[in-house]
Amino acid sequence: MGMKLKRVAAAGAATVLGLTLAACGGGSSDDGGGSGNNADAVKGGTLRYLQHFPFESSDPQRIYYGVQLGNWRRVLYRGLLAFPMSEDPEVATTPVPDLATDTGTASEGGKVWSFTLKDGVKWEDGSDITCEDVQYGTSRVFANDVIIGGPNYTLSYVDVEDYPGPYKATPEQQAAFEDAVSCDGKTITFRFNKPWADFPQAVAGMMMTDPYKKSFDEGDRSKWKVLSNGPYKIESGTWDKNKGATLVRNPEYDPATDDPETLRLALPDTIEWTIDPSDTAGELFNDRLIQDTGDDQYAITTARVAPPQMPKIVGPVEDRYQNVLSPYNSYLVPNAKRITDVKVREALAVALNLNDYVKALGGEAMGEPGETIVNPSVSGAQDNPAFANDNDNDGDPEAAKALLQEAGVKLPYPIKLGYQKSPTTDKAMAIIKEGWDAAGFKVELEGLSDTYYDVIAQPDKDMDVMWAGWGADWPSMMTVLPPLFDSRPNISSTTCGNDYGCYQSEEFEALVDEAANSDNTEDQIVALQEADKVLGETYAYIPLEITKFNWLHGSKVTGFTTTPASNSYPEIGLIGVAD
Amino acid sequence: MWAYAARRVIIGLLLLLTLSFVTFVLFFAAPVDQAKYACGKICNEDQIAVTEKALGYDKPVHEQWGGFIKGIAVGRDFPVDPELRAAAPDIVTHCAAPCFGYSHNNAKTVNELVAAAAPTSMSLAMVAVVMWLAGGVTLGILAAVTKGTILDRGIVGLTLIAYAFPTFFIGVFFLKYVVIKWEVLPYPKYVTIEDAGVMAWFTNLLLPGFTLALVFLASYVRMTRAFVLESMGEDYIRTATAKGLAARKVLFKHGLRAALTPLVTMTGLDFATLLGGAIITESVFAYPGLGLLTVQSSNAWDLPTIIGVVVLAGGFVVVANIVVDIAYAFIDPRVRLG
Repeated sequence: MGMKLKRVAAAGAATVLGLTLAACGGGSSDDGGGSGNNADAVKGGTLRYLQHFPFESSDPQRIYYGVQLGNWRRVLYRGLLAFPMSEDPEVATTPVPDLATDTGTASEGGKVWSFTLKDGVKWEDGSDITCEDVQYGTSRVFANDVIIGGPNYTLSYVDVEDYPGPYKATPEQQAAFEDAVSCDGKTITFRFNKPWADFPQAVAGMMMTDPYKKSFDEGDRSKWKVLSNGPYKIESGTWDKNKGATLVRNPEYDPATDDPETLRLALPDTIEWTIDPSDTAGELFNDRLIQDTGDDQYAITTARVAPPQMPKIVGPVEDRYQNVLSPYNSYLVPNAKRITDVKVREALAVALNLNDYVKALGGEAMGEPGETIVNPSVSGAQDNPAFANDNDNDGDPEAAKALLQEAGVKLPYPIKLGYQKSPTTDKAMAIIKEGWDAAGFKVELEGLSDTYYDVIAQPDKDMDVMWAGWGADWPSMMTVLPPLFDSRPNISSTTCGNDYGCYQSEEFEALVDEAANSDNTEDQIVALQEADKVLGETYAYIPLEITKFNWLHGSKVTGFTTTPASNSYPEIGLIGVAD
Repeated sequence: MWAYAARRVIIGLLLLLTLSFVTFVLFFAAPVDQAKYACGKICNEDQIAVTEKALGYDKPVHEQWGGFIKGIAVGRDFPVDPELRAAAPDIVTHCAAPCFGYSHNNAKTVNELVAAAAPTSMSLAMVAVVMWLAGGVTLGILAAVTKGTILDRGIVGLTLIAYAFPTFFIGVFFLKYVVIKWEVLPYPKYVTIEDAGVMAWFTNLLLPGFTLALVFLASYVRMTRAFVLESMGEDYIRTATAKGLAARKVLFKHGLRAALTPLVTMTGLDFATLLGGAIITESVFAYPGLGLLTVQSSNAWDLPTIIGVVVLAGGFVVVANIVVDIAYAFIDPRVRLG
């Protein structure tokens, strides 16, 4: 589910849910300071959070939506580490201690990581958070048959074989796991089978290694129960998938064990978190925020302002509006099995009119042309020379035609372009078709609905180029390039996985291995920047746009902003309500 | 008579069995890897296989369907993997017969989901039925007694215009203007009588109920009008009038009684259909009834819930039809003999 929703977000659809970290912009005026009035920020009051989709789970080991990871880290689930609430991407993507005393100690070339828990950190029931809780939480991810869904990167790293998770493990299997993830007093040590240089970012951004209290666990039936260790707790103890919940102060939370200025101000006394899963909820929430009456003056929302509502963002409403870069990119993938000539793929990129494509999506408030598949918020992101050089993003059909003639292919060159169908993408794909047709291609558009990603993962699909979207799971290129273009974990006889173009490159994969074996993030970044260049040279992908988010909030909301740590959604750790 | 009733019940049960089997087949015919979908984006083939087994999707369709039928008959324990149940009895969920399955997506038995959603659908259906019957019958009678006048044409025309707009449009229109812009009513959200009292329950149902009722209103106006006109042309009405009965008495005592009988049958069937969930109205207003549950389970490829809701909704319709069939058989012996 997470994948699907991430892709939807990248498509610029209204139901945006995220999984990643992203660069923040400022308000519509790029002021970077948030559109809420910080001078009015006080503790107390009730913040109303209007959400237009249900979460998949409230179990930390299963949470995968970016908005939930970012927000719940601030209010309910503290992790060993966390990302700061800074608008500066450099700061915001550098983990700081949360439940742990420091950001961890690496040894054995990044294959062993240790963290020590702070004193005095407690669950909402008053019990101490122990090393064994962290160990147990980590073990639950391995139970794919009970804890279904959620990020499971740890499975390929933790140095244990055939461990089925804590529910079904034999004593020997459990002992083997507890050797790999071991406790010594308050210190937990993770032993991996390969270096994991960006592990601290994974710990901060995901909840795979968050603590979980064993006595609270009911397996699948724990999916909606919440045992908080953050500044709030859920009043009823259970999150209602279709209604949400009321968050009240957690008396067991001790700010002295925290760094509130950096991680969570926890200003409102109460957060009324309302879920409305109807198709129209997002648009109606923003209608209410434009109207700005009654309780809606104290409200924020997860729903982006839709393009038809943009003309209403004027006057005083504009003061409550922010337009920011999201963590999502969309891109095109040539099918390497069907378009084998790199010149033809290059012609596709050269003929692409990205400016008009973005206009078709709703204009500059909805996205901006991308020069790489790596989002600007990801550490080490830089423009890919293949797409950034000599590029006004207007497309050059004549130059593309020359490339096709150079390739010696018969014109018009037939192209079937697959995409996820919606009224907006229909328009945007028509723009792409127009440019490509002018260059000597003969484009057939094929829009698919819910089954889209399953169809384009098939190795024998008849599409020549596919649209796709992606966002990093944490701000590392390791969660972008290898998942999308490394053939080894992706391609089998029945699927190309996330490598929709069924792309295979020994040069690229060697660089991925170099990055994976780095014991520090600096070397990892250098190797992956090279890997991205290889992808550009072979036109394994063609970047489209970086999706933008548009946020409105009520007039009595203070400190409204987004940060990379909040995945460009409202940064709930900073937001309060006026007295 | 009893043999006839038994025949109808058996046919109804066979229909429901067929319905459930067809739903299973259709679910697995979709070009979607349901286990991969549930497992998430970075699952490898081994992890997807584990998820597939956990969800029971690794078994042939007929075997999964057999498990579903068994659950209806004798109940089931979840997770479906017996090895996992034996190793971790603390996480086992027992679902007593008639068990419609267990939804991993919601972490609840389908019975629990349906039990939670049914009162919402029932409340909505009840309010809507009252609205469209009150409005439809009243306006239909009014149109009939003023046949050929501007009032008659106005009533029929306006209700047809309302009927022409899709429920989705009307619902969103009400929310955007009546609620948000003009602030005539508060934003509706479903509340139970136990939690908020009868008044809050009713006022929150006004808008979605009216939206749903509008769909039926036009057809009830036209049907009522036609039935009343037909019955008012009968000989016994002429006789009653000739005997000097007041026009009002002729209409209400003799005319309406005959005219409204078919409407009662129609209402029963429509109400039974709505008990299975008013998909569009519940989706627009986010009312957590069986309709919204159906939409959400379909979007999430949540087979147990889809099956449960389909069978339940089908069951309402089948039962309503059986009741009508048997009632007709009581009234008219030719039905059971034929």
